[in-house]
Amino acid sequence: MSETRLYPGTGKDERTSFAPYSAFEVPADLRELHGRYDVESMARRIRNFRYAEEWMMMAMGGWVATIPEIPVKTGLGKIIWECAQAADLLGKRLPELRCGRKAVSASESANQGFADFVQAVTEPERPDQTIEKLVGVFDVLKPHLIEVYERTMLETDQIADAPTIEILDEIVRKSRRHVAWAQEVLDRLCDTDARRERRRARAATLRARLIACGGVTGDLAAGSA
Amino acid sequence: MKRFIAHHELARDSRFVRQDNVAATVLSTLPDDVDKVVEMFDRLTPIIEVSVRGTAAEPLYEEYGPAFGLVTLNEPLRPSDPAVTTRLLLRMHGIFVGELQALEGAGRSLWDFPDAPWEFKMNMARQCWDEARHVQIYEKLLEHCGGTVGMFPESSFLFECACADDPALRVAGVNRGLEGLACDVFRDMIRFAEKSGDEKMQQAIDYVLADELTHVRFGSEWVKEFTKNDPARFEAAQQFRRQVDKQFSFGGSRSDREDAAIRIAREDRIEAGFTEQELDELTEVSSGGPSRETLRKAAEVLRIKHLARKAAAEKQA
Repeated sequence: MSETRLYPGTGKDERTSFAPYSAFEVPADLRELHGRYDVESMARRIRNFRYAEEWMMMAMGGWVATIPEIPVKTGLGKIIWECAQAADLLGKRLPELRCGRKAVSASESANQGFADFVQAVTEPERPDQTIEKLVGVFDVLKPHLIEVYERTMLETDQIADAPTIEILDEIVRKSRRHVAWAQEVLDRLCDTDARRERRRARAATLRARLIACGGVTGDLAAGSA
Repeated sequence: MKRFIAHHELARDSRFVRQDNVAATVLSTLPDDVDKVVEMFDRLTPIIEVSVRGTAAEPLYEEYGPAFGLVTLNEPLRPSDPAVTTRLLLRMHGIFVGELQALEGAGRSLWDFPDAPWEFKMNMARQCWDEARHVQIYEKLLEHCGGTVGMFPESSFLFECACADDPALRVAGVNRGLEGLACDVFRDMIRFAEKSGDEKMQQAIDYVLADELTHVRFGSEWVKEFTKNDPARFEAAQQFRRQVDKQFSFGGSRSDREDAAIRIAREDRIEAGFTEQELDELTEVSSGGPSRETLRKAAEVLRIKHLARKAAAEKQA
């Protein structure tokens, strides 16, 4: 009686008799290799994303003291922490993308225009400027980041760059919650035509600057912010 | 947005009334002398009078005069005390605004020190969330005890004293001075809640105290890190903490003295990273100032003078 081969040998006749394990094909893996970004360009994008998350966190930290509305102060407290966690997760991905172990705290603006845009977002400081403060982060920058993160998740290599997708997926989930919270707050604060106009005007000005600099990664097509 | 703000720039809604910080700060400088305490409060009377107008402290002022704080905040909290509700509300409101200022202090540390190490920013960001929850918790506890936000004037002296422009001093002041004070006050509040059978208060504050230990630990670690290889800066940070501890002892009301309203929570502080030597120093710097007996006598003199002034004013009118 011939013995069942448990392990394949070197010749054709020395194969095992096990059928290919069909469970690997159920469900079918429809993901395809190759994405729009190579390791180097993804690392650059992550540094760009980290720059935005870190500055949002710092700006909101500064604003907490100069915003008079208590529920806004406390609401921002949690969002500050979640932006810090986002920046931290992004930073931890960098050494995995051949940026060196010290790269965990590397943030980089895509260009001077985006750095200037971020400074414009952080500019308001008076206590009567809660609308201007929130609009910059929650009506303009965060929705833009959500859009770019989602596009990045779709465009990157689904298998090779899956750890980046996991990180962005988590950040998007929380960012959506942040935007929804701010939407409620801003709707409440903008209770007159004049205040609604302030919100609209501030968002339009910042959005124009964001488009002009090409967004967080500097390569945003005009009209997509 | 500029870096570094003054305490008077802390933004508040229309419910809040500011109190001049001098009234809170002066307690740490008073000697154990009834006449000197009376003299100082006499001088502060116009400032105190203005700050209590329209708040729940106004009736206290009317009854006790400018030293009403001495017969309320500087006395221990006991469930059997007839004035316990007033004392509890005053303390609860004081903690609420203290948490608000701690949130603002942690937030400003993120903005004021953009080049600080990433781990520091992570710790401060976490502290922002914790302090935000503490504000929410104490707002609910204040309501639970029958109080409302803004019912008493707010002194921003915690922020003023603790928020230095050097990050090593900032963490020494906020995370070790202010948060250390929080450990002492919260341990005392937990004891009060246990004695009065208030499980809701006891459990909530127990969680808050656990957070505060973490924040003190952040401070202990960052003072070391920021002053590494720089003994002069380390000494400056320690000196700043001693100064803040002295100010936050309210003339011995928070100390290890037998007559202290709030005792130093040694075990909690040890767990948070304070050394025995630092706690001995705290015991020493906080033990000065007038005794409770002196404060009581001074408060009584001030009450009589206040009532006489009121009667004279009414007669003239």
